[in-house]
Amino acid sequence: MNNPYAYTEAEILKVVDETQNIKTFTLRPKTGIGFRAGQFMDVSLPGIGEAPFTPSSNHYVKDVLDFTIMRAGRVTSLIHQAKAGDIVGVRGPYGLGYPLNEFKGKEVFIVGGGVGLAPLRALLYALFNEVNDYKKIVLKYGAKTSKDIVYKNEIDSWRAKAGHVDIEISVDVGDDTWKGNVGLVTTVLKPGLVDVNNAVAIVCGPPIMMKFVTFKLLDLGFKENTVYLSMEKNMSCGIGKCGHCRIGPYYACKDGPVFTYDKIKDLPNIWD
Amino acid sequence: MEKKTYKITKKDLYDLFARLSANYRVFLPYADGQRLDFGEFDPKKEDRIELGGIRQSRPVKGFINPPREKILDTSRKDKRPVILAGVKACDLASFILQDFVFLKGEVEDPFYAENRNNTIIIGCDCTYAKETCFCLAMEGAPYPQKNFDINLSPAGDSFIVEVASEKGENIINNFKMFFKNHSATDLNVRQANREKVSREVRYFIDKRGTPDTSAIRGAVKKSYNLTELWKDFASTCVECGACNLVCPTCHCFLLYDEKTAGGNKRFRMWDACMYNTFARVAGGANPRKRLYERLRNRFEKKFDFFPQILNYFACTGCGRCIEACPGDIDLREVLKGLVTGKWNKPPHE
Repeated sequence: MNNPYAYTEAEILKVVDETQNIKTFTLRPKTGIGFRAGQFMDVSLPGIGEAPFTPSSNHYVKDVLDFTIMRAGRVTSLIHQAKAGDIVGVRGPYGLGYPLNEFKGKEVFIVGGGVGLAPLRALLYALFNEVNDYKKIVLKYGAKTSKDIVYKNEIDSWRAKAGHVDIEISVDVGDDTWKGNVGLVTTVLKPGLVDVNNAVAIVCGPPIMMKFVTFKLLDLGFKENTVYLSMEKNMSCGIGKCGHCRIGPYYACKDGPVFTYDKIKDLPNIWD
Repeated sequence: MEKKTYKITKKDLYDLFARLSANYRVFLPYADGQRLDFGEFDPKKEDRIELGGIRQSRPVKGFINPPREKILDTSRKDKRPVILAGVKACDLASFILQDFVFLKGEVEDPFYAENRNNTIIIGCDCTYAKETCFCLAMEGAPYPQKNFDINLSPAGDSFIVEVASEKGENIINNFKMFFKNHSATDLNVRQANREKVSREVRYFIDKRGTPDTSAIRGAVKKSYNLTELWKDFASTCVECGACNLVCPTCHCFLLYDEKTAGGNKRFRMWDACMYNTFARVAGGANPRKRLYERLRNRFEKKFDFFPQILNYFACTGCGRCIEACPGDIDLREVLKGLVTGKWNKPPHE
């Protein structure tokens, strides 16, 4: 029987503390599981429960998967207690990833907030892999404080990619050690950073951040169908059957979770 | 296939059920006070069998899509095929939706598929209508027209038998001695009953002013911002989820894991979109924080989403939600309010 609710066992190879409440887990599934950047999977603690996460690793690496997970509820709190060597379950991938082919030849403008950088890390890795196919890659990332920045040790290596990756980090609240911009991420979204007539924008972060970033992007001249949003709803079954993640005429699990703004802008409560 | 018709006496039918129960789990409706409920065939309880009547108090979906089903391993205990007898047209209609959700799409739900294949459905005409019945407004009828293997139409001490599938045909062929030819008069009796019950349903629809699907189409979208309407109707809701659970078309479920001595188990359990937790994510975000938004969502899903993606109104007019609601929220009144823009405050206000 081809059981869509069954998971593949995966061993935790490594756990990295990103921030006080965010960790990155590197998993090796017993049988390889491929995915495309932007797709999500359900990670489970056998006998406890599962939750949806978008892998944050390079989709060209087939045997291991990274998941960057914020402690937010029952399952994630328990996942945070897991150690290298523990076995978890993985099923998926589900949904549609970022349409990389449509991004080719364009300037890719990425805006992330908090743990929302996780799916964007998978996207960046995918873009870096064919970095010359994209005219420009810009990442604007916002975190609450300098302590809340994820992938701190990697970001400099991203900056070095092929010379045309522009990365800027902003923190909502500054401190003595922070030399960069202080303010919401919207404050670093300025005219002239990209050619909006030949650019796509990808946004992932907390709902309130996505809302104001989207409005700012539209102000900057991005067209509604070039703004890609990660609508992380309560995805559960992953196959459009359980009903939890319905948003208007879509199921986020199979029609998303990435939607262009024009497709969802008229639906109620999209930012809640 | 062309539907063949026969006749069977009540006594022979009960004998048939007794014979079938050797190889099948046979469930049929028993009268239990005012209500009808499915029970497993028991020859000692023949006097309480009520194949006609109206829909049973519980939706038939539970036999195919059980309230709680183990879905991680496939070692399930009782694999005997099931016969469901006396299923009414409003419940049969719900299979349009349940089959669409669980069998169609990129992935088939193997547990539903197994239960569905493993079940023979014997429908039965309604022999009266209840005040809460409105199948005719929802493009249905008080007698089965589709989604059954065999249908029974009560006619005096006998039933007119209509066969609609190979599964049904096999039963008839295996038990030929029970099935007789019927007369033209028998079909007239069937027709007369169907017209009588249809008139009763129509009377209740007209009395209530319940709109039909042609009026309802687009009404949720149009009246989405009638916030006062949604708030008024939701004002007596106690978030019990009964409307979801008794609804034959509601299909949403929760995945639930459990650690036991026998190993890790995963269950699929019915869920209810009226619950605050239904759409809430771990971080606390919830697109439908308020009760009235959840009530509105329920109507949107039934009368907007499914007509849009399946050309099907996910309501069969069975009226169970009206009876089950402790807050007296009447789906017909909500629909009427959507269509007319006028509504009375619910009785508790």
